[in-house]
Amino acid sequence: MSNNVDFSRMKFYCDENLCIDCNGCVVACKEAHEVPVGVNRRKVITVNEGIVGKEISLSMACMHCADAPCQQVCPTDCFYIRTDGIVLHDKDKCIGCGYCLFACPFGAPQFPKNGAFGTKGKMDKCTMCAGGPEETNSHEEFHKYGQNRISEGKVPMCESMCSTKALLVGDANEVALIKTYRAASQGKGITTESYGW
Amino acid sequence: MENSSFFERNKAYIFTLLGLGLVGFVFVKFMMIMDWEYLFKYTMHVITGGNLDGVLTPPDSTYKAMVDKAFGPNYEAIAPEIIRASNERQLFIWWVFVAEIAIFCVMYTISGRKTAVITNPNDQVEVFSLFHRAIIWLNVFIVITLVITGFNITWSLRSEGGYIPFILRGTHEITGLIWFPIWLLMSIIAFKDIKLILKNSLINKLVLPGKYKPMKRIIFLVFVMMGAGLLTSGFLIWYLHPDAYANAQIIQFKRALLYVHFGSSVLIMFFLMDFVYSVLVAVKGNLKGLITGKYPREHLEQLAPDVLADIENKKGKMA
Repeated sequence: MSNNVDFSRMKFYCDENLCIDCNGCVVACKEAHEVPVGVNRRKVITVNEGIVGKEISLSMACMHCADAPCQQVCPTDCFYIRTDGIVLHDKDKCIGCGYCLFACPFGAPQFPKNGAFGTKGKMDKCTMCAGGPEETNSHEEFHKYGQNRISEGKVPMCESMCSTKALLVGDANEVALIKTYRAASQGKGITTESYGW
Repeated sequence: MENSSFFERNKAYIFTLLGLGLVGFVFVKFMMIMDWEYLFKYTMHVITGGNLDGVLTPPDSTYKAMVDKAFGPNYEAIAPEIIRASNERQLFIWWVFVAEIAIFCVMYTISGRKTAVITNPNDQVEVFSLFHRAIIWLNVFIVITLVITGFNITWSLRSEGGYIPFILRGTHEITGLIWFPIWLLMSIIAFKDIKLILKNSLINKLVLPGKYKPMKRIIFLVFVMMGAGLLTSGFLIWYLHPDAYANAQIIQFKRALLYVHFGSSVLIMFFLMDFVYSVLVAVKGNLKGLITGKYPREHLEQLAPDVLADIENKKGKMA
């Protein structure tokens, strides 16, 4: 692996062969960012549940798309994409309309029901632990977006807590290299299809 | 062509259908990015099976099963159109209303304003009871609020979001809920055609006097149908609030509902603007009557003889 990484495109990758549906990433995320009840920035889904040999699980959150549909559809233009590819949004601009939820292929945008008469609040989603537009590591940033671990040189909370290291995050090229290395070191070649997250 | 020909009697319906058909065809064929086959099958699937998740056929691979469970199926069927239309609404929808207002200006230039010759302004006839006026004005205020707060959402690029647009968005949802009983009452009191079938004292009290001319009947039908579409879709979009785990089961249905909401809002606004022009701009003296409930007898004789005849008929029956 190269040591000269420029982090041009930060991505998540979850290895479905390693994920054991422990939901540690979900809990770690909620705990670290003090995410309100009813909102999950990350979720674990399982298919073929109970079928021996076919059951697989995946941890999912915002995929920080390069051409993010949420950014395209947002009427207030509250989304912005950092130079390292992390998709963030400005809660001061968000009006909670929910268009991003309709446009997102992954169901990443979440809305607390804290408006009057149960109406939607402002959108909340995975920030890849990179905070938001407020001053870095300020109280306001933590209150609105949670921890800014990226600014401290740390990996996102979900990945750091993943017990099987199924969940990887980093530059897309580096993540791909790790995936290749793992598969190659097992002596089986790349045995699973790469689904892109 | 004679006045009593089929075409003359039904030209309002024919032109409306042709106009909507033409605009609809151009829009559907050349502008929208929608998988119509999927949408049709999905609609039938929802109606016949009650299953909202959009999975029309069982997955034939682990990958498809994963996509269905994680994201919901057929993202490319409806979502791209939502993205396209979102930009379009912000940039181009102004022109729909500019075009409609331009048509009204041309009509006003050609036809001018109908005015009744009033020689005895003290001879007044009550057309709208207090109940009628309350329903009508509540509808006016609520629809104006819904239009303003609705455009606050779609045109937020201009306001750049923030606290006030956020509050207005919540107001849109709450006002929509309040509109339901008011829309229902308006649909009942404006259902003039029921008098063709039922004639009793309750109907006479509840329903507005007069008969519908074809264009007004179209506006009434659009108000009822599109109002129902707006209220149902709006309520379901609000009520169906998926969390992260339930998102894949509901999101396709919400996307389809959003389209019902958009389509209904465009149609109802177009015809309501038509109604406002034909009632308040093209005819003088109607606004005052809507406030007081009374019109000079000569106004009704000259401009709304069907209303006067209906009222006289009711009075005759009571006497």
